[in-house]
Amino acid sequence: MGDFRRLTATHEIPLGEMRSFDLGFYNVVIVHTDDGFFALRDECTHDSALISDGELDDGEVVCSRHGARFDPATGAVKGPPALVPIDTFELKIDGEDILVRVDD
Amino acid sequence: MKPTELTYTLPDLAPELLEGPTWLNQRRQSLRETFNSLPLPRRGLQLWRYTDPSRFIVETASHAASVNGKFEAIRTVEQKHVAEGRLVGLVTDINGREIAVHGLDEAAKSGLLVMALSDAAKSHHALIEPHLYSLVNAQTGKFEAMNGALWQDGIFIHVPDGVVVDKPLHLLRQAGGVGSAAFPRLLVVVGKNAEITLIDEYGGGPTDDSAGFAYANGVVEIVADEDSRTRYVALQRLAAGTRFYQTHRARIGRGAHILTIPLAFGGTLSKQNFGVILDGPGAESQMNGLLFGSGRQHLDNHTLHHHASGQTRSNINFKVVLRDRALSAYTGLIHIEKSARGCEAYQENRNLLLNEGTRAETIPELEILNEDVSCSHGATIGPIDPLLVFYLNSRGIPEREAVRMIVSGFVADTLKHVPEDIRERVAAFVDERLGNL
Amino acid sequence: MADIINNQKSDLSRFNDDYTAKYGFHDPVDYFHKGARGINHEVVEMISRMKKEPRWMTDRRHEALDIFLSKPTPDWGNTKLLGEIDYDNIYYFMKPIERQQDSWDDVPDYIKKTFDRLGIPEAEKRFLGGVSAQYESEVVYHSMQEDLKKQGIIFLDMDSGLREHPEIVEKYFGSVIPSTDNKFAALNTAVWSGGSFIYVPPGIDVRAPLQAYFRINAENMGQFERTLIIVDKGSRVHYIEGCTAPVYSTDSLHSAVVELIALEGAYIRYTTIQNWSRNIYNLVTKRSVAHKNATVEWVDGNLGSRLTMKYPCIQLVGEGARGEILSVAFAGVDQHQDAGAKVIHAASNTSSRITSKSISKDNGRTTYRGLVKIHKNAENCKVSVECDALLIGEQARSDTYPTMEIDNNKVRVEHEARVSKVAEEQLFYLRSRGLTEDEARLLIVNGFMEPFTKELPLEYAVELNRLIALEMEGSIG
Repeated sequence: MGDFRRLTATHEIPLGEMRSFDLGFYNVVIVHTDDGFFALRDECTHDSALISDGELDDGEVVCSRHGARFDPATGAVKGPPALVPIDTFELKIDGEDILVRVDD
Repeated sequence: MKPTELTYTLPDLAPELLEGPTWLNQRRQSLRETFNSLPLPRRGLQLWRYTDPSRFIVETASHAASVNGKFEAIRTVEQKHVAEGRLVGLVTDINGREIAVHGLDEAAKSGLLVMALSDAAKSHHALIEPHLYSLVNAQTGKFEAMNGALWQDGIFIHVPDGVVVDKPLHLLRQAGGVGSAAFPRLLVVVGKNAEITLIDEYGGGPTDDSAGFAYANGVVEIVADEDSRTRYVALQRLAAGTRFYQTHRARIGRGAHILTIPLAFGGTLSKQNFGVILDGPGAESQMNGLLFGSGRQHLDNHTLHHHASGQTRSNINFKVVLRDRALSAYTGLIHIEKSARGCEAYQENRNLLLNEGTRAETIPELEILNEDVSCSHGATIGPIDPLLVFYLNSRGIPEREAVRMIVSGFVADTLKHVPEDIRERVAAFVDERLGNL
Repeated sequence: MADIINNQKSDLSRFNDDYTAKYGFHDPVDYFHKGARGINHEVVEMISRMKKEPRWMTDRRHEALDIFLSKPTPDWGNTKLLGEIDYDNIYYFMKPIERQQDSWDDVPDYIKKTFDRLGIPEAEKRFLGGVSAQYESEVVYHSMQEDLKKQGIIFLDMDSGLREHPEIVEKYFGSVIPSTDNKFAALNTAVWSGGSFIYVPPGIDVRAPLQAYFRINAENMGQFERTLIIVDKGSRVHYIEGCTAPVYSTDSLHSAVVELIALEGAYIRYTTIQNWSRNIYNLVTKRSVAHKNATVEWVDGNLGSRLTMKYPCIQLVGEGARGEILSVAFAGVDQHQDAGAKVIHAASNTSSRITSKSISKDNGRTTYRGLVKIHKNAENCKVSVECDALLIGEQARSDTYPTMEIDNNKVRVEHEARVSKVAEEQLFYLRSRGLTEDEARLLIVNGFMEPFTKELPLEYAVELNRLIALEMEGSIG
C-alpha cells in the first residue's frame, strides 16, 4: 500500500468528464460525477481498453469498446460484457488538490 | 476524455545525420516521412495489448551518454577475453553514437570486416546499399521507420564467403542517461559457407526511472547467404530506468543455418521482435529464448518464423519466468507461404508464474498456406509445483533459493541446446539474472 | 456515446408524438409488402409495431440501430469479404409470405444435388429451398409441446416468448450480449426476428433434445434470429439448432445472437450444425454465462456459408463452473470458416476444455480464433485447448490465433495445435487394404472428425457423414 500522491487539481476535471494519469506502470483514471471524484484503474476488465477513452452516463462509467459499465465509486460491474469489477483507488481532496493512494 | 490521435512527428533531420552518401540521406528522409505519416499502433491490437505505444515515443532526446562503472567493468573483462583469445574481438557502442573496435587484427587478415556503419556506408557502398534497410524498413512499422531515420552510428559486420570465424565476437552496447535516446543499428552480412557467432549485449541506462528514463530503439538486420552458419545471442540486460524497443530480422538462404538465443532480462519496459525468414531449401532456424521478469518489469517478446521456401525447418523454444508484479506478452508466429512445400515448423512456449500478481499473455500463431507441412505448437502456463518447493524446504533450503533452483531446472534444457563453446558464457548470463530474480 | 443516447431519446419522443404526421399512415403489413431495402429508424419502428412489441423492446431496437450505424466494420478477419456487405441493399425484414421463392428453378443446382444425395423428403426439400414457408411436421411439433407444457418448460419462438413472458425476457435479453458489444450484435438487436426462447424451471432434466427444426415457419431459418435460453437451478437441457442439409436463402447477411444463462448447478448443451448456402455471410455472436457449479457446452459445426465468423463463448462466473467447446469447421471451395472459442474464467475452481477441428479443402480457408482469459481473482483454474487442422490440396489454408491472457498464477493452462495434411503413410496403409484413394481419404477425414460426430444425435451424425462424403467427392461447389 503506497502513499497518497497528488495527481491533479479539482478544476482540471470538469463535471461529467474523466482524465487519465500515467503512473509509469499503469494508468489511473479520475472521474468526476455528481457524486464527486473517484479513481479507477484505467483498464477495462473486459478487454483491457482504456476507460478514459469512454464516457460517463447516468453516473456510470461506460467503456467505449464494447459498452461495459462500472460504478465509479465501487468499481462494480453495472453492465455487460464486463464480468469482474475494476480496481479502485482511495481518493481524497485536499483544498484544490486531488490525491490518490497508489500501489507501490 | 478521448485522447486525440497521437501522431508524434519528427522535425527536420539534424545536419549531422545527413553527412552520409546521397542514397543514405535520401533513405533517411523517406523514412522520416513514413514515420510522420503513420499513426501510432492502435492500443489493444495484439502486439500492443498491454503496452501503451506512446510509452515508446520520446519527445526530446538529450544526448547524455552515461558510461557507468558497470560498463567499464564489462568492457575491461571482455577486452581481456580478446587478449586471451576467447573472443575474436569486441565492439563497443555507446548510446548508438560512438563505435569502437578492439582486437580483430588477426581476424581481419581473413577478410572479416567489423567497422562503424556510417563509415562503411561511405567506404563499402556495394556491401551496404543492397542490404541496409532490406529487412527492416518503412513497411515494418512506425518505430522501425524512426530508427531508420535517426540512427546515428551503428555496427557493420561482413563475413566474406568461406570465412569461418571460430571465436565469438562480442558487441557491447551501452544505453545513455536520463532523457537520452539511442537508435542502435546493426547490419551483418554473412557470405556463402561462412560462419560467425555474435554476442550482442545491451546494457546500461539509469538504475531506476525516478528521474526519468533512457530510451533505445534498435534494429538488427542479418543477411546470411547459402550454407552459412550464424549464431546470434541477444542479451538484453538493460538497467531499470530504460525503455527498449527492438526489431531484429534475419534472412537466411539455401542450406543456411541460424541459431538465435534471445535473453530478455532487463529494462522496465522492453519490446523485442525477432524474426527469421527462411529463404531457400534446406534453410534451418532454431530459436531458444528466455525471459525473466521481476519487480515491475514489463517485457514483450515476439518471434516470427517465416517460411518463404519449401524444405525448410524451424523450431522455437521460448520460456518465460515471472515474479513480483512482472508482466509479459509473448507472440510467436509461424507463417508458411503458399509455395513452400515440405516445411517443418515447431514452437513451444512455457510460462512459469512464480507468484500472484504476475500477468502473462501468450499467443502462438500459425498461418499455413501449404498443405504439405508438419507443424505444431504448444504452450503451457502455470506456477511452480508447491510440492517441489516444500520438498526443498524440508531439506533445509530456504524459499528464495529453492525457487531459484527450480527455475534453473526449468531453463536447464534450453541451456543444453546452446552449443558447447558458448554455453558457459550464456549460462553465466542466466545465472547472474537468476541471482537477482 | 452519451451523446448518442441523448439524441436517441429525443428521436424516440418524436416518433411517439408525430410519427403519423411525419410519415403519413402506414399499415406495417403494407409497408413491408412494398419491399423496403436498407435500414433506418422507420424500418425498425415498423418491425416492432408489426410484432406488437412492448415499448421497452422498441426503444432497445432504436438504441441498437444507432449503435450499429456508429460502429465501423471490424478491421480484423476477412476484411475483404466483410467489405463486400452492402448494408443499404438488404431486406431487413420480410413477412414469411414474401420469403418464398418464385420457383423451384431458382434454387441452385448444388443444393438440389445435395438434397437428392442426402435423401431429403420432397416437402422438406421445398422448405429448405425456400420455396415453401411451411414444413409439414405439425403433428410432431404439437405433441412435443404438450409434453413440455406439462413440465412447465417454455419453448417458443422468440416473438411469442416476448409476447407471453415479457418479464423473463426483459430480465435476460441483452444481459449477456449488450447491443454495444459489436456491430453485428447491435444490428441483430435492432432488427431481430424469430429465434428460440426457452426457459426451464428448477430441478428438471429435459430428456429429449429440443430442436428448432420443428418450429413450423420459415422464420426459424431467419437472417436475424435471436435466441435466449435460461435454465434454472439444477436443470438440464440440450438444444439443437440447424441441420446438415444445406439451407438456401437469398438473404446474403445472416447475423444471429444467442444468449445462454445456466443458473446454479444447471447444464446446457447447445448443438449447432450450420450449412448455409455458399452465398451467405454468417456473422454470429454466441455467448453464455455459467453460474456456480453450472456447465455449458457448445457443440458447433460449421459447414456452409461463404464466410462464417463465430466464436462461441463461455463465461464462468461462479465457483466450480465448467465449460466445454467442441468445434468443427469444414471449408471447401471459396469458403472461409473463421471460427473459434472463448472461455473466460472469472471465478475460482473452474475448468474448461476447447477442442477445435478444422478441414480446409480446395481453396477453402479455416481460421481458429480463440481466447482463454483467467481473471486475477480466479484461482485453481484448469484449461486445456487442442486445435487440429487438416489441409487437403495445394490451395488450402489454415490459420490459428489462440490468445491466452493469464492474470492468476495458480492455474494450469495447456494449449496444443497441429496442422498437417492427410498422412501419406496412413493413405498407403489403407490403400494396401483394398480401399481406393478416395475411400481412404474419406475414412481418414471421418476419423479426424470423430470427436465431434460422436457428440451428435444419431440422425445428425449419419447426415453429417453423408455430407462430408459429398464434400470429399468434390461434387459440391
